[in-house]
Amino acid sequence: MGNIINLLPVLLFLIGMLGISAYIQRSSQENRQKNFAKDYFIGGRTLGGFVLAMTTAATYSSVSTFVGGPGMAWVIGYGWLYMAIVQVIVIFLVLGVFGKKIALIAREIDAVTVIDVLRARYESNLLANMSALVMVAFFCSTMVAQFVGAAKLFEAVTGFSYVTGLSLFGLIVVIYTTIGGFKGVAVTDACCAIAMIVGMCILMGGMMSAGGGFDNIMQYISTKHPDMLEPLSRGKMPISLYISQWLLVGICTLALPQSVVRGISYKDTKALHRAMIIGTVVIGIMTLVATWIGVLSKGILTEGIKAYGSVDNIIPIAIVKSLSPFWAGVIIIGPIAATISTVSSLLLATSSSIVKDVYMNMKGQKGESLSNSMVKVYSLTATVILGLIVYAIAINPPTVIWQINMFAFGGLETAFFWVLIFGLFWPKANKYGAIAAMGGGVLVYCVTMAMKIKFMSLHQITLGIFFSLLLFLIGNSMGKTHDEKVLRIFFPEKFDD
Amino acid sequence: MKRSEKFRQANKEAKATCVAAAAVIIFWCLAGFGLADSDITLLHTPLWVWGGCVGTWIFAVLVTLFLSEKVFKNFDLDNKEDQK
Repeated sequence: MGNIINLLPVLLFLIGMLGISAYIQRSSQENRQKNFAKDYFIGGRTLGGFVLAMTTAATYSSVSTFVGGPGMAWVIGYGWLYMAIVQVIVIFLVLGVFGKKIALIAREIDAVTVIDVLRARYESNLLANMSALVMVAFFCSTMVAQFVGAAKLFEAVTGFSYVTGLSLFGLIVVIYTTIGGFKGVAVTDACCAIAMIVGMCILMGGMMSAGGGFDNIMQYISTKHPDMLEPLSRGKMPISLYISQWLLVGICTLALPQSVVRGISYKDTKALHRAMIIGTVVIGIMTLVATWIGVLSKGILTEGIKAYGSVDNIIPIAIVKSLSPFWAGVIIIGPIAATISTVSSLLLATSSSIVKDVYMNMKGQKGESLSNSMVKVYSLTATVILGLIVYAIAINPPTVIWQINMFAFGGLETAFFWVLIFGLFWPKANKYGAIAAMGGGVLVYCVTMAMKIKFMSLHQITLGIFFSLLLFLIGNSMGKTHDEKVLRIFFPEKFDD
Repeated sequence: MKRSEKFRQANKEAKATCVAAAAVIIFWCLAGFGLADSDITLLHTPLWVWGGCVGTWIFAVLVTLFLSEKVFKNFDLDNKEDQK
């Protein structure tokens, strides 16, 4: 059992998040009375550059940025850092490629979710429902993995039980997401991103002083573990892994719906431009510092992996070894912030798919419309219930954090990559192509993942993306191009004059 | 700006972003793998780590600065002009 005083920093931080959400809820009451769904799920399209950058970066970086990644860096060395730095492209890529186009289209058709956009583009309820299913399944598994990772870290670092930690931040994130809506999520995400960076810097400082300084640790590594100083780490870090990671955590993240939806939420083009720059600065700092911590922890945890159990234990042990209980209590805010900022965004995206994309649409097709106050009741209830389900699953956790997280990551990328790219940039893309690409791609990805089938020892994302493309082209050749009415919304440049 | 012009601009920006991402990938290869055989170290850390990791980050920031200053243009996202 840990000392309650060491929990104070985390408690204060979490209460602060609740306070911010409550404030945002009060200040946006007027807008919510006008159009609840628009304010609640997308923040009324008012995000500025700084908040847009921070929420995109915070949603993207998760508990594995703090635990799994640095743990691997402890094993592999600088090769892992070199691989991880591919993530500097993710923010400017998604905002630069989709940011403006999706913002223009969303304003035209009054879209609130990515699925709204896909439904309008491909005119297919089947595709919209498939998208919702894929998102709900993968988002929920990611949220569970996040909770599990953070609660384990909490237990190892503070000495309080797993369930105590999980209940503390798990329930608070559910409450603040429910009341704050998208704007609340975005602003708390920004605070979380700052907390992450501060936490990482303190940990890095503590680790360097525990290891006798950067130079000293590096001297130790270069004499005892020279393989850690090579990009291929004497075979532990093959080229195929670099290529896989470039796709999985680099280029293909372009299509992650939880990032793309941020393109609907910002205020004006200036905000987007600023967000690209700030986001790239921030994601780079996070990746560099967090992963570098992993490399440096080699100077403090000098035994073999067996002495520490598993890779996921490296960082918790390193925290306990290099910081006093008080400072450990402070920096635990970092990984918790990483977790809750990811969970809050996914939770809201999940409840928006269920309420807005599936339920409200079904009602709309029957010619029934929901009153604003009913939308409010359904949205809030869905968010709370979903959050509690995820919390309950995380109490009795499944085993491998990293794999589950990576399974979902690649699955979402496979499902949405070509559907979004072709949908927004290729007028001839039609619903048959999109349905084949999403359904077939996810199937191929999941089956090859489960059966551990690989092509040239590359990650299964390559197979998923390749088959998804192939199926898109085959499916597309069987259908017709959509009506001019749809194309005028998505490709007005083709109808100039 | 007419709506169609905004879309044309957005397409141009999307293409430029892809080129920028490709430039970062090339820089990453050159500054990392390209320097891997060098014996130069800074603080007992090989040059390729500084170039491939810290350098790639700085390069990516410079690339986004270039994009937002030189390629990306400001316009009104609402569709007012067309409704006139």
